[in-house]
Amino acid sequence: MSDPDVIVVGGGPAGSCAAIVAARAGLSVVLLERGPFPGSKNMYGGVVYPRILDDLIPNWWEEAPIQRWVTRRATMLLTETQALTVDFRTEAWGKAPYNGATAYRPDFDAWLAGYAEAAGAQVLTSTTVTGLLRDDKGAVVGVTTDRPDGDLRARVVIACDGVNSFLAKEAGLYEHTDAKHFTLGVKETLALPKEVIDERFGVRGREGVDIEIVGCTGGINGGGFVYTNLDTVAVGVVLKLTKLAAQATRPEQIIANLKGHPAIAPLIEGGEMKEYSAHLIPEAGLRMMPKMTTDGMMVAGDAAALCLAAGIWLEGVNFAMASGMYAGETAVEAVRVNDVSAKGLVGYQRRLSNTFVLKDHRKLRRAPELVLSDRVQHLYPQMMANIAERMFRVDNPEPKPGLRRILRQERKRAGVRRRHLWRDAFTGFRSYG
Amino acid sequence: MSNRIVVCLKWVLQAGEPDDARFAGVSPADHAALELALQWAERTGGQLTAITVGPPQAETALRDAIACGASNAVRIDAPLSTNSADVAAAIASAAHDAKWVWCGDYSMDNGSGSVPAFLAAALSASQALGVTNVTFDDSGITATRRVDGGRREVLAVHAPVVISVEGATARLRRASLTALRASTTAPVDVVVPIVAMRTSQHTIQPYRPRARALAMPSGANVLDRVRSLTTTGTAVATHHEVETLAPAAAAARIVDALRDWGYL
Repeated sequence: MSDPDVIVVGGGPAGSCAAIVAARAGLSVVLLERGPFPGSKNMYGGVVYPRILDDLIPNWWEEAPIQRWVTRRATMLLTETQALTVDFRTEAWGKAPYNGATAYRPDFDAWLAGYAEAAGAQVLTSTTVTGLLRDDKGAVVGVTTDRPDGDLRARVVIACDGVNSFLAKEAGLYEHTDAKHFTLGVKETLALPKEVIDERFGVRGREGVDIEIVGCTGGINGGGFVYTNLDTVAVGVVLKLTKLAAQATRPEQIIANLKGHPAIAPLIEGGEMKEYSAHLIPEAGLRMMPKMTTDGMMVAGDAAALCLAAGIWLEGVNFAMASGMYAGETAVEAVRVNDVSAKGLVGYQRRLSNTFVLKDHRKLRRAPELVLSDRVQHLYPQMMANIAERMFRVDNPEPKPGLRRILRQERKRAGVRRRHLWRDAFTGFRSYG
Repeated sequence: MSNRIVVCLKWVLQAGEPDDARFAGVSPADHAALELALQWAERTGGQLTAITVGPPQAETALRDAIACGASNAVRIDAPLSTNSADVAAAIASAAHDAKWVWCGDYSMDNGSGSVPAFLAAALSASQALGVTNVTFDDSGITATRRVDGGRREVLAVHAPVVISVEGATARLRRASLTALRASTTAPVDVVVPIVAMRTSQHTIQPYRPRARALAMPSGANVLDRVRSLTTTGTAVATHHEVETLAPAAAAARIVDALRDWGYL
């Protein structure tokens, strides 16, 4: 068989979107997936926002294998005995064109890869890419795989091989990688009858809930989440890797603590564990992003650290799908004008820069650090929860204290300095404002 | 004389995921059969045909076989629940001139291991079933099979023959990337069986021993009869002895006691 125009490495959302775009434009595409089917190895922490698929797969919501549409989003601050929740729900997110959805990745990714196959891409599974083929000038001209006779050459390689991408590293796109830029996501999937989930979370039909939690990870900086699938509930935590390594705590112990919290335990009581999984997350945004292109190669999705972990926004699959699409478009362009050098692939960086992919990251570049900072992690949840407790406590015959006094007293009690509070507020305002 | 070699593969859906082709596949025994068939084809210079009986999705099993080196592939279009005799008859009519037929000893779903036996009958071939070891030499194939009591039977195998092998007899080679790519577009012959295929519905249940006839319980009234059946209210453990013996003597004594009490 002749060499393909494009090799896509990895059958996740980035890889499949890249393959769909390139194959639909008439290029010959080979998509290499190491698992027995696309999605079989994939894991994530929460919710997928598939609006980016509007152009690629019109009316995607009619057939996407989603579990529930998220119509209730809560952000929760936890202390050992308290919980302060901002809980938002809207009917609008429960109907087309929808907003976020919970989905099982082996379903969602396999579904998306089906479109790549239908577009004419050759999807080869159980095939692990082991390295890059280079010409004498160092340009990427293909990949090596773990199969016999396993070298495959192509005009363009799109590396969508996930977090900690060996291909991007081998191509020299990452100047350096640092463990402090990663978090570890750990998740338990607990089975409960659908009616029980509907009742406990106050939803009906396909409506779902996504709860993001701060202050539930003990001494380790990170966050937690609870979200509903159709008949399972996922409970998990995201933990700063360096802190986790420094403390001799097992991640499953931290999940166990979260599951035992009085605000969480009633939601998941009696759930039977169906799955325990863990995965690295490239959490540091712009601070860790690699160069996106080199001669003959582009990098997309988690492999390019395109994961937005900015506290109230936790997104990755949409960034993966978008970057995959743009890499696919760029490959089509480059093959047509017969220039697959880094210069020929410059359109990829331009597309990323001009769209939400890098605009969001640039805007929120300070957010990951702020969210994982010690004050946000360990001091503010306690302070906020205490303020709420004081505000809503009725101390008769004492008269109600003024809010200003409560704020001042609780700030002091929590050991938060005023200038730190202002500085964090300013950083938050610059990021989110 | 033709030297046609055939391997029979059964593509099986996973029990918990009846509608989901992602979790489907063939058994390790079928993989072992494919590997041995490939080795035999290479040794004898024969052509290997991979055959399956199943729906169109089952062709993935055949394409995997082609990627590993099978020359051609035939899918007999019939439901997966077709009964063993009809599966064997359909394979036999599609491969009536086969000399060497390789099968896994049993599939992952029903696992009765009956298709190879039916197939041998339908082809008027000899059979070597449940084989645990296969060696090739210049005079042919020597197969070792498991028989009762932990003993082994060594068979000199001559064509035409149906050989069914256990999963540990061989490890399937990994397809080369070029062959894998070519296999995705390789042609698969589809045969529609002439006779209607009968299906059989198997359900997997826990083992339930057959009921035994018991004598009527004795007793004048219902309560007595229930008591005599259940020993409720009577002294339990009618057999009870305490002895201190050396292990070998103790074992012999236990066997004797069980024989006396009628358990053996």
